[in-house]
Amino acid sequence: MIRRRQALTAWLFLTPAVLFFVLLFFLPIGNQLLTGLYDSDGASFAGLGNFSRAFRDPEVLHSFLITLAYAAGTLVVGTAVGLGLAVILNQSLRGRTVFRSVLLIPYLTSVSIIGLLWRNILDPQVGILNRLLEAAGLPGQTWLSTHPLATIVGITVWSGAGYTMVLFLAGLQGIPGLYYEAARIDGAGPWRRFFAITLPLLAPTTVFVSIIGLISTLQQFALPYIVTGGGPGNATSLYAHRLFLVAFNDNDFGYASALSLLLLIVVLILSLVQLRIGDRAHA
Amino acid sequence: MHEQLRERLFPGDRVAAYVVLVVLGLVTVLPLLYMIVLALQSDGEVQSGDPVLWPDHLQWQNFSRLFDAAPFGRFFVNSFVMAGAITVSHLIFDPLVGYVFAKLDFPGKRIAFVAVLSTLMVPFFVRMLPIYSIFASLGWIDSYQGLIVPFLMDAYGIFLMRQFIRPLPDELIEAARVDGAGEFRIYLRVILPQCRPALAVLGLFTFVFQWNEFLWPLIATSRTEMRTLPIGLTLFNQEYFTQWNLTAAGALILFVPTAIFFVITQKFLVEGIALSGLK
Repeated sequence: MIRRRQALTAWLFLTPAVLFFVLLFFLPIGNQLLTGLYDSDGASFAGLGNFSRAFRDPEVLHSFLITLAYAAGTLVVGTAVGLGLAVILNQSLRGRTVFRSVLLIPYLTSVSIIGLLWRNILDPQVGILNRLLEAAGLPGQTWLSTHPLATIVGITVWSGAGYTMVLFLAGLQGIPGLYYEAARIDGAGPWRRFFAITLPLLAPTTVFVSIIGLISTLQQFALPYIVTGGGPGNATSLYAHRLFLVAFNDNDFGYASALSLLLLIVVLILSLVQLRIGDRAHA
Repeated sequence: MHEQLRERLFPGDRVAAYVVLVVLGLVTVLPLLYMIVLALQSDGEVQSGDPVLWPDHLQWQNFSRLFDAAPFGRFFVNSFVMAGAITVSHLIFDPLVGYVFAKLDFPGKRIAFVAVLSTLMVPFFVRMLPIYSIFASLGWIDSYQGLIVPFLMDAYGIFLMRQFIRPLPDELIEAARVDGAGEFRIYLRVILPQCRPALAVLGLFTFVFQWNEFLWPLIATSRTEMRTLPIGLTLFNQEYFTQWNLTAAGALILFVPTAIFFVITQKFLVEGIALSGLK
């Protein structure tokens, strides 16, 4: 009796959520599966044509390759910076809380601000960075025309370092302080302790941080859209930007649906890998 | 005790740690402070190409010029309505669903929970195109409901609330049931008041993230009057690309909620993100 009442209550309370997730998640995804099988006009059945087209489309392949380069660059540099910050800020330093919070400001700042601000700072004509470099006797750079992708990686690392730091800080809390005491008694120096204790014991966190980072960088759209508009040429037209152009410039929703499903497959695989590793870490 | 056992990477050499922190702290903050300098420069200063570290005369009228050049008041209202409505919806539904998964037993619970969590893996790009098509046929492009409805609740918030409610003692619920309280009353009067800290974190984070949201408002609006602030500012900059002072003034307005959020949450920001984060 009580069990039935509870079941009824539960489903009654869940009704809005069921409606929401069915109507705005599961039906749209199902719809994507169908749309991806049709031609751009939506009338004729294309089978897997849209998918095989993606693998032959030089613009899609280009966008995929530069997205991989962007993801790899962001991952390596961002992880190193985030880990370094976390290790430093895990010590008992005066002002620790303030530094931690300040480093998080860009993470909470609109991507429009970040993108526009850096576009101004990096501008070869009116930007302040080149003026400062020249004042220091260094050559100015045409950042966004000569090294567009690397510059976008740099801005991404700048805005994401604080968040990566927080994830690593959580991982560091899990390492028992006794290990460090023991190593210290055995005469291990700080670098030795970092490579022998911190790094190996942080391995699960590092994998977790890397996969989270990969999942978000593979979907990156707004930053290059604002900073470079995908240019110069298509040097920073990442996969998500290509998808956006196919859908809203070419109005080819069938093809865009197929491209979004390919993205879904990659993200699902990464998420499942992450779940498996998470399970093993907790077991 | 805990503090004593903490790893010290640079024993006796805190200086190196502080140097790194101060440099990286400045690299983080200076560009944002420069936004203020930029916003108060004259047109001549901003276009000269000479470095201006502080304007000759603070051009406060840049803000009124901005509002004359484009409907920034309207952008602000649109952003506020969108982020505000989504936050209210999250505060209503996320704890309710979180409570069901934390405290009630019912057939289908495991499947329902896995289904909700699985939505965490879905990139927005995957549901964006069909939602756009449906909303277009409903006439919801350039409407508030079009901006709001795709984000009424999410698995992050539900999971956060479930984790918070789970450790609350079952006896509270049992006692209320024995007293003959209805199920919704139990939730409203017994559970919800215990959730205040979690609701504060949920509300603040939801508001700031939705305030900053870029992709969906870009697609779901086309008329200038319906643009949100991040989109309105980006498009304004494309049109007035030489007037960086006005763009920076707009960026400062867009930054206001982040600044307020930062002041409120400073003390528990790091824990809050570690708790609710994964975004």
